[in-house]
Amino acid sequence: MKYILMMTGTKAGVDTYRAWSKSDVEVHFAHLKNLNRELSEAGELVANEPLAAPEQAKVVRAGKNGVPVTDGVFPEAKEFLLGYWIVDVDSPERAYEIAARLSAGPGPGGAPTNMPIEVRQIMSKRTSEPGV
Amino acid sequence: MKYILMMNTMKAGQGVPGWPKKDLQAHVAFMRNFAKELRESGELALAEGLTFPDQAKLVRAGTDGMPITDGVFPEGKEFLAGFSLIDVDTPERAYAIAARASAAPGPGGAPLNMPIEVRPMASGPPPEML
Repeated sequence: MKYILMMTGTKAGVDTYRAWSKSDVEVHFAHLKNLNRELSEAGELVANEPLAAPEQAKVVRAGKNGVPVTDGVFPEAKEFLLGYWIVDVDSPERAYEIAARLSAGPGPGGAPTNMPIEVRQIMSKRTSEPGV
Repeated sequence: MKYILMMNTMKAGQGVPGWPKKDLQAHVAFMRNFAKELRESGELALAEGLTFPDQAKLVRAGTDGMPITDGVFPEGKEFLAGFSLIDVDTPERAYAIAARASAAPGPGGAPLNMPIEVRPMASGPPPEML
């Protein structure tokens, strides 16, 4: 069963993160890196991608003629996807365990952030396409 | 340049849209054909559809590190319905592809003109991770 684990945050939340000390950031990323290695070795990690910062996001709609209409303005409260993990696991409980590990990632001073991670099953039968 | 195209079109608690079956089928057929076209042009890296928001869970670590699972989300929260990762030469090409997806057919075959969020992928892990 494939699940996506989504880490989201508002622009304000991202600014808070940017104020973390260098050593706190390093400890946080070491946690993520170790978790990724562990999931890879267990054969559970399908994909993990970080996204560029919310400032680089655009919203695109088709105009009447099908031409893209591009806008860069989002509501203050909008949650942006910051990164995702796709895992292939035997049960939803295992997906929740992995999400809890992400949630427990250390924040300032090493205390767990306990950030919420959205977990949803992937619908597609085929997860990986050639060229990834 | 890798971009992610996100369809943040679903709302909390939503399941399969209540469209006529043939409209749902036409929508899915459009998305499949479009993915096929992008795969053939070498621009599609990954395309995924997610299950509906009524199956989403929010997970946090408890004080003991065990998962605390919740299924209640704010009314206004946007949910990701699906996403594509594309590899293109310019942002304009990413926006053109997003506009095609935006115009996917909805009820009665009319274009949805739904908003598609487009963002570059981080070009690699942040330097802190390396």
